[in-house]
Amino acid sequence: MSLKVLNPNAEVLNKSHALHMNINAAKGLQDVLKSNLGPKGTIKMLVGGAGDIKLTKDGNTLLKEMQIQSPTAIMIARTAVAQDDTSGDGTTSTVIFIGELMKQAERCIDEGMHPRVLVDGFEIAKRATLQYLEKFKTPVVMGDEPDKEILKMVARTTLRTKLYEALADQLTDIVVNAVLCIRKPEEPIDLFMVEIMHMRHKFDVDTRLVEGLVLDHGSRHPDMKRRAENCHILTCNVSLEYEKSEINAGFFYSNAEQREAMVAAERRSVDERVQKIIDLKNKVLKLSFLDEDDKLFTCFAVKDNNPYCHFQVCADNDNNFVIINQKGIDPPSLDILARAGIIALRRAKRRNMERLVLACGGEAVNSVDDLTPDCLGWAGLVYEHVLGEEKYTFVENVKIHIPVQSSLKIKDAVRDGLRGVKNTIEDEAVVLGAGAFEVAARQHLVNEVKKTVKGRAQLGVEAFADALLVVPKILAENSGLDTQDVIIELTGEHDKGNVVGLNLHTGEPIDPQMEGIFDNYSVKRQIINSGPVIASQLLLVDEVIRAGRNMRKPT
Amino acid sequence: MKEIVTIQVGSYANFVGSHFWNFQDELLGLADSPESDQIFKSHGLNMDVLYRTGETPQGILTYTPRLVSVDFQGSLGSVSSRGTLYNEIPETPVDTLTWTGPVTTHTSQPLKKNLFLQSLYLEENANLGSSRGCESENSDSHTEVQDEDIVQSLENEVQYWTDYSKVHYHPQSLYELSGLWSEINDFNNYGIGREAFSGGQHAEEINERLRFFVEECDLPQGIQFVVDDSGGFSGIAGEFLENIADEYTNIPVLLYSVHSPDSGMDSRNRKLAISRKLHDAVSFSKLSAFCKLIVPVGLPSLNTSRMSKYLCLEDRKPYHTSAVYASAIHSISLPFRMQPLGPSAQLSNTSGAVKIKDLVQMLAGQARQNMVTILDIAMPAPAFTGTQAQQSLLEILQPLTPEIAEGVEDMQALESMTVHGAFASGMQKSHSFEVKDAVQAAYLNAVERPKFSHLSIAQCPLPIPLPFPSIFGNLIGRNGELLDTPISESTSRGSLEVHSVPMAARLRSSNAVLPFLENRLANLRKFGLARGALGTELLRNWGFGKEDAEELGEALSNMVTTLNPASLESSDSD
Repeated sequence: MSLKVLNPNAEVLNKSHALHMNINAAKGLQDVLKSNLGPKGTIKMLVGGAGDIKLTKDGNTLLKEMQIQSPTAIMIARTAVAQDDTSGDGTTSTVIFIGELMKQAERCIDEGMHPRVLVDGFEIAKRATLQYLEKFKTPVVMGDEPDKEILKMVARTTLRTKLYEALADQLTDIVVNAVLCIRKPEEPIDLFMVEIMHMRHKFDVDTRLVEGLVLDHGSRHPDMKRRAENCHILTCNVSLEYEKSEINAGFFYSNAEQREAMVAAERRSVDERVQKIIDLKNKVLKLSFLDEDDKLFTCFAVKDNNPYCHFQVCADNDNNFVIINQKGIDPPSLDILARAGIIALRRAKRRNMERLVLACGGEAVNSVDDLTPDCLGWAGLVYEHVLGEEKYTFVENVKIHIPVQSSLKIKDAVRDGLRGVKNTIEDEAVVLGAGAFEVAARQHLVNEVKKTVKGRAQLGVEAFADALLVVPKILAENSGLDTQDVIIELTGEHDKGNVVGLNLHTGEPIDPQMEGIFDNYSVKRQIINSGPVIASQLLLVDEVIRAGRNMRKPT
Repeated sequence: MKEIVTIQVGSYANFVGSHFWNFQDELLGLADSPESDQIFKSHGLNMDVLYRTGETPQGILTYTPRLVSVDFQGSLGSVSSRGTLYNEIPETPVDTLTWTGPVTTHTSQPLKKNLFLQSLYLEENANLGSSRGCESENSDSHTEVQDEDIVQSLENEVQYWTDYSKVHYHPQSLYELSGLWSEINDFNNYGIGREAFSGGQHAEEINERLRFFVEECDLPQGIQFVVDDSGGFSGIAGEFLENIADEYTNIPVLLYSVHSPDSGMDSRNRKLAISRKLHDAVSFSKLSAFCKLIVPVGLPSLNTSRMSKYLCLEDRKPYHTSAVYASAIHSISLPFRMQPLGPSAQLSNTSGAVKIKDLVQMLAGQARQNMVTILDIAMPAPAFTGTQAQQSLLEILQPLTPEIAEGVEDMQALESMTVHGAFASGMQKSHSFEVKDAVQAAYLNAVERPKFSHLSIAQCPLPIPLPFPSIFGNLIGRNGELLDTPISESTSRGSLEVHSVPMAARLRSSNAVLPFLENRLANLRKFGLARGALGTELLRNWGFGKEDAEELGEALSNMVTTLNPASLESSDSD
């Protein structure tokens, strides 16, 4: 109340109110998201005020679309989104887990337990669960050749929670291959090297892996080829635009000739830059013409560790030259290039510049002064695809890359799938899915850990253990099964020493290993790590103060 | 061709932008319509500078603004962010095909379209359905009544900037920031905006959209950037501008930082006031760092300014105030679109074409290199009848930039003025040479004279579209001429009574802007940099450590010294 003296407008919620506000917010958020969970969850159709329709099953997307107002809920949502940012999945699970922890805590607190003791119990249980997870995880050996089967299973598990089975299965291979494509030994996997390209006019099932690049723009000159094979690729960041001012208030130039001269000089310097590129093209294409002598061929062999190169350069001389420029190219320059038979693309995405170099070889040049044939990359096929005003340029027959074509929702799913595979490779471990881990960990906590804890913190451990069960519970609920039956059956099996998960079709226990249902180790660890932290913080709040606004009123 | 890409960031910026595009749309419409005045038909402006030609998947040609707009989620009101031109979504979305499980639907309360949007919608359907001939004649009296209702409803109901927009936007144009999870009132400082932009996919997505429009340009002359600098959006714009400066090094950015009149009001509590002052300083310093020319726009009150003689503006309606700013931006943008012509240009409809780059060079590239310019506007511009009126043009020009000194003498001032649609004696549109002579004479008679002044002239006045607010006073005639006696009883006249307005607008680089800069510098020093200052913690929360904050101060004080070299030694300047 002392705050009232300081600021008469301030709103204060006392202990129990504050706690219940937090608990209710957590439960509310859980309610919204829980029907999303698992392969039997519902998809959410969001219809905006203007009639816009968005469909999503991704917890992350859903959270972002919601206009959350409650500060508590925002805190939880931030944690969940951070979960997605760091580990790529598990947004829904995080929200649900935090909600359940709060629910269990509410029960204990209503029975007169102090939040502090409860939080201590959570802490103990969390540590024990993490230790148990280390024991429980299934190690996967990632040598030079990762076990594709296990990766596929992980990808499938993720994808099936977002897409219908047939589509998920189709994408599984694509996702796994994409990640393996860009994987380099001894280096972290950079998923930015995989691009998910969304083509509006295609269907979901048209999704495919393009081993190469797809640029979302095309050449801007009618005379340039729409399709070219055996292409030398010049990746550059050189302005081929005429830049100086043209017409001015007279005082920049003292007379007309002077102005003309300056214009001409500037134009000339652009043309010279273009000419240097054409010179390079002539030089290179002549080189490959001489390839049959095998003398100059080494030039390519060094630059390209691409098998196509060798084969095709020898096979035919019909080589092409493509420029992909990060800067602009103006129409006169395009004209000159087109006349020289060069295909030119301007204003390429910065990220694509890196990808191009990786995919095609060569290097990105920032100046035309130091052009050598070594700068060039190679692609077996470059072609353009036009629909309405949308243009796509495919750069194929190179080393890597995946654009996936279709709607946004697929994009989310594919992204999660990719992250899942990446995590698996980096964790070198997976965790049995279908709720198996949660049930096992719960049994472990109740049967083993609880006994080692003294005093009332035991109740905290128990609450934590029960909260873990929320995942199988909601999985069952979403599948229309009886939650209690399912939980009893599962815990029973676990007590017998069988590690089982839940079969969502029948409600029977199954062996996730046999069914190939695996979750990410790092995702699980992250959930168990962050969930209790937030829950504890919220539980330990004993006063909520907000100056000048009434928070009991619904906004 | 020299294209311009326009960017609008923030709520108020979009209010301004919406009016701006309405003018352009009106110009396009008038050029096509058989009944319109000759002046509109051959306005001599190249609309392709601002617009792009596209094609829907169905092969229908489209002509849409080259625009990227960023705003809150839900700020588009009843308009879809994908626009209606490229509407290929069938009634039942195909997307559900990716999921065979159950579907839950969450429907927000559908927002009702206001009368204006309804009429647009009807018109469109009618255009599609019937042949053009019959619609104009038989329903003339009918539409007249309706137009009044529309104007009335707009006056009272405008809530979103889309409520009065009659322009079709490209699906890539409108971007909503989702997942901010903060109330609009709390989104009020640089730090929160910066955070929102850097986290998540927003930055990448917005940059992608800009790239989409820039890639199409053969030879972009510049970017016209309008930002609402009153809140978190300046943080977003700051980061965005940094990206632009990085990516498109050769494309100059002309930045208007607009401020709505009310946004300075609620400074009851001290903490908020400090936060606001610091925000203004930080955002100005940051925004000016990545553009070529910055034009601060936004008076604390328009109603009490000199403009109230001819215009009646309600400060609390962004719909009203943004219309004035949009008119000014429209006028300034005219020279960018004029066709450069040979020496015979004297008799054409336009003269004084300038590209953004030239303008920047002219105002900020010369000796003093001052990049902060003042925007002045005369709305409506007076007629060039006799010697008396000449004087009044310079007098009637009203600064829209806040906190500037009046009547200071600056030997090094540089100006670029645009006059369009001005009248000569009677109701005759004046020719460009007449305007030129008149303006020259005005300057010769004036007390303060700039070192250099550029003049651009167009014959085409500012067209007043139907959804323009009723802000004209009763001293303004049908074609924007100034009257000696009130024309009617009612004090405010709108688009039905006034059809076009002659305009004059001016950008000037002068040391009159010094107080604006000094205030910001002083605030930053007082609240942010001084030892034990109240706002140091705040700055740190916004992501500015001690050194960053000092850098911001450095930038501001550099701008001050550019204009006033004496300020280093003493506060006494000549």
